[in-house]
Amino acid sequence: MTSSLPLIITLGYVAIAMVIGLRARGGRSMSSLEEWGVAGRSMGPVTLYLLIAAGSVSAYTFMGAPGWAYAKGIPVFYVAIYLAYLALVAWYFGPKVWAFGERFGHVTQASAIADRYQSPALGALAALVMSVGSVAYAVLQTIGSAYILFVMSGGRIPIWAGVILVLSCIAVYLYASGQRAIGKTNAFQGVLMLIVAWCIGLWATHSATGSWSFGAVFARLQREHPEFLTLPGASGDMSFAFWTTSILVSMVSFMPPVWTQWMSASSARTIRRSATWLPTYYLVILPMVVVGFIGIFSLPELARADTVALEYAMQHLPALLVGLLGAGTLAASMSSCEPFLHSVALTCSRDVLQPALKLSDRQAGRLARWLLFPLMALVVAPLAIAEPGNLVMILLIGLGFASQVLPAFVGMFLWPRATRAGVAAGILAGFVITVAFTTLWPHPLGIHAGFWGLLVNLPLFVLVSRVTTPTEAAVVERFFRIAAPWRYRSVARRSSSLTPATAGAAPVSARREEP
Amino acid sequence: MSQRFVRPASWRGWLVLAGFVAVIVAGIWPVIGWINRPTLVAGLPAVAAWSYLIIFACCAVMALGNRLVAEEDGDDD
Repeated sequence: MTSSLPLIITLGYVAIAMVIGLRARGGRSMSSLEEWGVAGRSMGPVTLYLLIAAGSVSAYTFMGAPGWAYAKGIPVFYVAIYLAYLALVAWYFGPKVWAFGERFGHVTQASAIADRYQSPALGALAALVMSVGSVAYAVLQTIGSAYILFVMSGGRIPIWAGVILVLSCIAVYLYASGQRAIGKTNAFQGVLMLIVAWCIGLWATHSATGSWSFGAVFARLQREHPEFLTLPGASGDMSFAFWTTSILVSMVSFMPPVWTQWMSASSARTIRRSATWLPTYYLVILPMVVVGFIGIFSLPELARADTVALEYAMQHLPALLVGLLGAGTLAASMSSCEPFLHSVALTCSRDVLQPALKLSDRQAGRLARWLLFPLMALVVAPLAIAEPGNLVMILLIGLGFASQVLPAFVGMFLWPRATRAGVAAGILAGFVITVAFTTLWPHPLGIHAGFWGLLVNLPLFVLVSRVTTPTEAAVVERFFRIAAPWRYRSVARRSSSLTPATAGAAPVSARREEP
Repeated sequence: MSQRFVRPASWRGWLVLAGFVAVIVAGIWPVIGWINRPTLVAGLPAVAAWSYLIIFACCAVMALGNRLVAEEDGDDD
């Protein structure tokens, strides 16, 4: 590929993202955690839809997913299913998380955990361990971004320069506009990815089969390689057990940036409206996966499966589409990277340094913004440039922890009896099992390591909660008036039939009472 | 205050819960095992077509939930 058009288009995308990110601030002061961290809880349904959608569609969609289709086939669709299930999770839990934030002033996941269990130490532990996984995820996305710039420039932008360029761009607009920058840039990136994926998928199908229908690709696959069309896939490693447990574990892994996104909504109803239609966005995966399937015939000797879409585009598509693919892939990796970086800076400031150094909210807000720079310069950039071999392992361990925090959320939304000791015991046991079954004995019996962790974690959590002292009743009631308001309405109705004077008495002080 | 697990408080809540469980069960074993055939449905492999059916079913269940229980659940603007 000798044309410089792809590089111009890709760099053009970076410039547009930069302008959008900087303008997102709109003259507001970003000195408070509420404004910088959760955009003053102001996002409408369309922005929120694109924010969550683009945040969850990472470089995996443009590189990893076509690579999975190329190497394994149909197992790649487990991603589409668990992403749709994450929308169900957002629909149910998102409005409650938003209400916690709005009434109790939480801006991070860890602050909600610390509040529910009256344990800053548990909040700080959750913040730190989630940050390890988040940083590893952000590093992988940064590597993907730099790789795209390397390929689009024909090697003229080396990996180290691409890392610095991408991180500088993100740092400047995140510092300036915080969550508002993420919202606006993700909206732009979300639309761009959708358009690019369908253009690439349809054009590649036409160039490979002479038809615009994906059916032609799959009909040929059915004739020549039917093993790609069923589980366990062509590589034979996606059993029913692994498919099922991967989906379930991914579904219950509450990552901190998602929590922050929910808290950025303008209302609880906004989250429900966005979540309702969120699964439709995941149609974006289909055309890119089709490119991976096309590669099975067109690029049979490819050394790296995750480069199949790029390789196919460079060999068979016009320069304009190659540039759009570069821009779309960069958009996917940046839109996933920036919420994780923002979330790490936010939670380290709010949940670790603020209680440790006794900082005011204003000081914590300023610190969160400034933390972005050392985080990127001293941690993310060196790791992205060095590409340590155990990075994926760090990510897996971080994600393993994310899946094991489930008891903390069960106690927040579903079970008032959950205690701090029960949550800590469950998380610790689940985490040890998950790490062991990820690193030492990967996925025994073809069952996901995180699922094994939950099998130990949840019973232990219930058992220990049953025998330890519950959290102060007023705190639990404050949470469950939001998590299960109907319980209190029925109590109030029963009370009013007995003693009308006391029926409406709210036992717990809160920032804003139930309507 | 009751220490029991939170459950739906009305038939509407139970209906939405049943819808959620149904779409989740549809995407995992054993249901996915029944779909797992090398046939094409509307030009897509059966598992892929099923995946997208689940995606739209999720939207439908949530839309139903918006009509039935969102207010009961304490949504506000």
